[in-house]
Amino acid sequence: MHQPLSLFHKWIQENNELVNKWKVGSQQLSVDHYLHMYFISLLSFPQCPCPAGIAPIADHTQLELTVVYNAGVCLIAQSQFLEAESLLTKATERILQMTGDGPFASDPPVFWKTALKSVGNTALNRCVMHLLCLQWAIWLATCKLQTIQELQLLSVFETLSSGVWDEEGSAPRTKSSDIALPVMDQRRLIELLQICTFIAQGAERLSEGRSSEALSGLQSASSLPAPRTLISYTHLLSGSCLAHMSRPQMALQCYRMALETDSQCVCALYQSMLIYRQLGNTQAEIQALRLLHSTLMLPAAKEPSPAGVHLLPSSLLLQSQSLSSLLSVPSALSVLHSLALKCVLHERVAEGVEYYLDLLAALHSEDQHGVHAAGPPLPKLPELYLQAGAALLMARRPADCMALCDEVITTTLELLPGKVVLKEPEECEAETRALCEEVEDGVGMLLWVGAAYLLQGHCHTHLRDWKQAVTTYTRCFNLLVKVRFKKRGDADMMSMQGTDLCILQRLKGLSLAGRGISFTQTDQLREALRDLQLSIQAFPGGTGAGLWCGEVLWRLGRKQEAVACWERTWSFTPHFSELSLAVYLQEPQSGPLLDSTELRRRIEELSPI
Amino acid sequence: VVIACPGPVTDLVESHDKRFLFVACACRVYRVSSQLLESRYEPSSRRWRDEFLSIFLAFAEEGVLSLLLVGSVLLTLSQRRSSWTLTLYGSSDYEVLRSVSLASGVVHNETGTRRRPPLTCVRSSAATPPPSASSSVSDGCLCLEPILFKRLFGIDAALAKSPVVLCGLPDGRLCFLPLRPPGSRLAVLHSLEQPVVFVGASGVTDNGRGHARCLVAVGEQGKVVLIQAEKGGAEGGADRTGFTEGCVPGPVACGCVDEKRLYYSTGSDLLVLDLPEESPERDGPSVEKSRVTHAALQSPSSLNVCRVLALAPPTREVELLGLSARGQLQRITLPVDRGDAGWPNAPSTPGGRGVRDLLSAIGDVCERAAALKAAVKSKNQILRRLNQVLNICFLLTADTNTGERDKPIGCRATASWSRLLEEDSLTLTCVLDNSSPYVLERGWTLSVAASPLSGPPAAGGQSPSAHFSFPFHGLHPGETLEVSLPLAAAGQSSLPVTASCSLSFSLAGLLGEEAAALPGLQPGCVSLPLNTLTVDWLHALRVTSPAHGKTPPQSGNTSDAIQAFLRSRRMGCGGAAEAGGERGRHAASVRVSAESLRDARALRASDADAPPDVGLSLLEWLLSEALGGVSAGRRRGDGNVVVAEGRRGEEEETTPTAVEVQVESSSVAAVCGLHHAVLTRIQVPEVTESGALSFSMVSRERLLQRIQQSRVSGAFGVGVSTGTVCQSLLSVYQELRENPLIVI
Repeated sequence: MHQPLSLFHKWIQENNELVNKWKVGSQQLSVDHYLHMYFISLLSFPQCPCPAGIAPIADHTQLELTVVYNAGVCLIAQSQFLEAESLLTKATERILQMTGDGPFASDPPVFWKTALKSVGNTALNRCVMHLLCLQWAIWLATCKLQTIQELQLLSVFETLSSGVWDEEGSAPRTKSSDIALPVMDQRRLIELLQICTFIAQGAERLSEGRSSEALSGLQSASSLPAPRTLISYTHLLSGSCLAHMSRPQMALQCYRMALETDSQCVCALYQSMLIYRQLGNTQAEIQALRLLHSTLMLPAAKEPSPAGVHLLPSSLLLQSQSLSSLLSVPSALSVLHSLALKCVLHERVAEGVEYYLDLLAALHSEDQHGVHAAGPPLPKLPELYLQAGAALLMARRPADCMALCDEVITTTLELLPGKVVLKEPEECEAETRALCEEVEDGVGMLLWVGAAYLLQGHCHTHLRDWKQAVTTYTRCFNLLVKVRFKKRGDADMMSMQGTDLCILQRLKGLSLAGRGISFTQTDQLREALRDLQLSIQAFPGGTGAGLWCGEVLWRLGRKQEAVACWERTWSFTPHFSELSLAVYLQEPQSGPLLDSTELRRRIEELSPI
Repeated sequence: VVIACPGPVTDLVESHDKRFLFVACACRVYRVSSQLLESRYEPSSRRWRDEFLSIFLAFAEEGVLSLLLVGSVLLTLSQRRSSWTLTLYGSSDYEVLRSVSLASGVVHNETGTRRRPPLTCVRSSAATPPPSASSSVSDGCLCLEPILFKRLFGIDAALAKSPVVLCGLPDGRLCFLPLRPPGSRLAVLHSLEQPVVFVGASGVTDNGRGHARCLVAVGEQGKVVLIQAEKGGAEGGADRTGFTEGCVPGPVACGCVDEKRLYYSTGSDLLVLDLPEESPERDGPSVEKSRVTHAALQSPSSLNVCRVLALAPPTREVELLGLSARGQLQRITLPVDRGDAGWPNAPSTPGGRGVRDLLSAIGDVCERAAALKAAVKSKNQILRRLNQVLNICFLLTADTNTGERDKPIGCRATASWSRLLEEDSLTLTCVLDNSSPYVLERGWTLSVAASPLSGPPAAGGQSPSAHFSFPFHGLHPGETLEVSLPLAAAGQSSLPVTASCSLSFSLAGLLGEEAAALPGLQPGCVSLPLNTLTVDWLHALRVTSPAHGKTPPQSGNTSDAIQAFLRSRRMGCGGAAEAGGERGRHAASVRVSAESLRDARALRASDADAPPDVGLSLLEWLLSEALGGVSAGRRRGDGNVVVAEGRRGEEEETTPTAVEVQVESSSVAAVCGLHHAVLTRIQVPEVTESGALSFSMVSRERLLQRIQQSRVSGAFGVGVSTGTVCQSLLSVYQELRENPLIVI
């Protein structure tokens, strides 16, 4: 009798020592140590130490289950879910066999149901419940929400937490050396599990489209006691639900609450940005993007977590695909890029240029900060260079723009293939995923170089260096005619929009127009007329080309034709907005301009005659 | 100063300013100051080690294998459970900047040792300031010509002027990771399909610009991949990146390149390979070019230096540093002009050491030749044996396809009772008969799996089966091998038992001991089924061995065994049978028509002349037949177990129409078992003798015809009343009842 008891105490002592050491902070090592100790002691521990008395058995089993609980927490913390699960079931089975119950089903839900039933209201009940909590954590971490729902764990533990746990609060005060300490407070664990389950369920329902159902669960979860991060998740998901139910304003409220709860919740910022974008509120969107970027660039502050919680981080329990897709935020660089682009497109060029320069600097720096997040990848680097170049030109910094374009050209030029065949869109469609995805396909590179030449041409035009401008535009055009493509019968602009073909035609049109305009400045009107007409042919709807073509006709004395040309240009409604094109493919704002009122005056002068 | 690291060191790099040394060792990375290494401070070993652990520890990294310093970034390549991880640390504060993982493929690493995967850094020469003249290496980075760099690593990396980390993984993949722009992914450049040993760059046509035009990767088994930018032909064909693959005799232990040559060590020799010159001006047909390349890749020349483990690239024109397995640091002078003599000069050192070196070189060559000869011999041996094995395989598999012909290699068996250690047990003696023209050599194993056809399920739920295997040392044509295996003790057998015999051959045995000792080797095994034998109740009731002739000697031993066996059966079915006495006796009978018995080949053979007593001969046949390969002694029914009687028919006096075999016993199990055994035996000739009509086939046919008739007439209702139909069906039924085939 004496021998097993001393073993019992020794065991408690060892366990508590480990737990305390853990809490003080020696971390990784003690996990292994702990598991090791557990298995060894399990072997040395007699299965039924004292058949005569009931009380010793209860003590022993309670101790053993606490140790199993601790070991289970360690295993789960190390993501060894399978091992943890088998440990839990084996231990429970063992205990239940000691109390004399028969074999159990291998199906986990059924197993736990019978286990709980057979434990009944004995002292073991609580210990087994703790193990069930761990099983719950495993199910949660492995996204088996169905099973959790089936067992109604949420409601089971809700009633428990109100009743049983209060007694427990007074119980441990008896003698701390007699009670084996848990490595993580069970009540904390249950709270954590409850809110995580709510969040995971909400995300799941949201992704299945059952928004209102998800919303009610999330609302009730937001009042639970939990760490700030998790509460902010509930607000965030509620917001997403509302956004799905097309209540953008209420959604914005929820995102605001999420941010107020946890200022690190960048996802809420991102989501509100998306809503502003959806609402068409550009200024607010730009503001949100700016905030988002600066938040992302902040070093992540470590929130002090209550003791024990850090053992099982909520990220371990929230691994479902739908949740992580809801919580994903693009990388800081990607945010910076959209910010810069938005600014440039919405008349905040100076700001936009600064952002672009920041972006390029970040891309060249060794600093790898803030790129861990997944999300849409940045556009290819040449694309970014061209966008930045266009922005610089808009900000009237042609020299910088030229330098950027030079860089693109020198890097890419020697890789250009001798001749390129552009596939028809639908033909390409089939092979798109396989072939066109290839990192540097010939057409893409050629279009980059073409656009770089075009921008350089614009720069020269801006600098009124007409001769240089003509050479550069010619280079661009010569490059573009290398591309062969079979033109379909009715190649309308709508269907071409966004394709390589469209970009190609646009580039051709702009370069020809640019050259034509340059010719007009040097009074080579014939060449100018030819180029401008070709430009209109290549890409109908270019305003610059149309107006200047009329101007040249006017100067040549073909006034009627000129008027017709102008009116055609004004009446032409573009099939698609200019905004959908890349920023470097837009009509240059910096070249010589024609005043529309002046033109109209001329028409009026002409018409009475 | 000698520093004892806490474990095997996997990699070592020096910082750019040569002030520190980074050491990867046992899942940790340490930073050791070089000054300390040069100092004369002699620490006491024990404390020193602990200090080493604490002072110099930079960071912990699980499974770290290689290190690389690029600028201010320290890269580590580590092997985790199922992935390769490339982690970037800031080299000042060791903060993890980034971590990229790649799922690991199949690692072709049989030896299980952790080799350091080569990790190098490559820059585009356009992105670096003009480097110091001769070397293509600047701050530890290989400098590659811009066009090749752009082709391989993409425009983004080139625009960002990024260094690219190249790593050759032990699973054969050559991966690269551009350090900029941030967010670029780890991608696979090429797969060598064997562990990558070396990655380097060679300035093949280096014309003073200090950049390499060719990337070289070498695999462990000797695959060499040259990666070059190929100019398209004059007709404007697309420019491509050329991957030229070649194979040199491996295994390659280490390698290095200089501007024109690849040096590599196979452990037994150091070889030089001239890298083919890819001049961009020559626009020959690419087929011819590639042929030239291949030819060049296949003719390495030997330098006759063995056991080189590590190489450093030539510092001067003609010198190479090598570290041998014996721990010697060797300075290897390369032959300067290799055109004048067919042989490259042996490593020559100044003065009178020439003869000694020559002698040692000869010794090395001798050693190598002997080892090679032995290897060739053993491989021949193995091939010869493998040939035999394949012959046997084809022989046996071909026979199973053509049907149940007699196999040239087969198994016969005899069941008998034997007494061992005061316990009777039923022993099955299997005889493996090799009548094929091939020798079954060492390495073959006869395995017999005995599993009861039915029986009480074991604890695990699956039916219990016993496996026996008998490895043997060669069985020449015409020889036989006899093995015996215990089927069951008298008390606890459940008959009938199927014994499936098969011949198996383990490929591991073929390779010999040294191969079998390898840890990761999957033992391949060829298993050829021979025959399946059934041991049933009739075999178990055998009293005499067939050799003893007709008169049963009734040896006490055997009959005791049988009695015990029967008793155990009775026990098995409970006490009811014993209590019931005479009333509890169970009986079963099988009736066999005499015609079919006469036709059956087995009976014809034994009773050629003189119309015999059919009943007796049937009984004899039942107990003696050799079908299924198991032969048993005959036995008279002793009244207790088997009663067979010939029941004479009414029509003829001389020959009975049917023979009834009656099985009678007080044990249900015995009756059932015997009944089953008898039935299976009678059914077997029915199958084999397709011409003979067994049982009451004729009457069955007749009955069916009558049923058919009545159904037809019933359906059409022509002239037959329902009453007559009923009548005829009733008579059919009665006939069926009267002539039961099986009566219990």
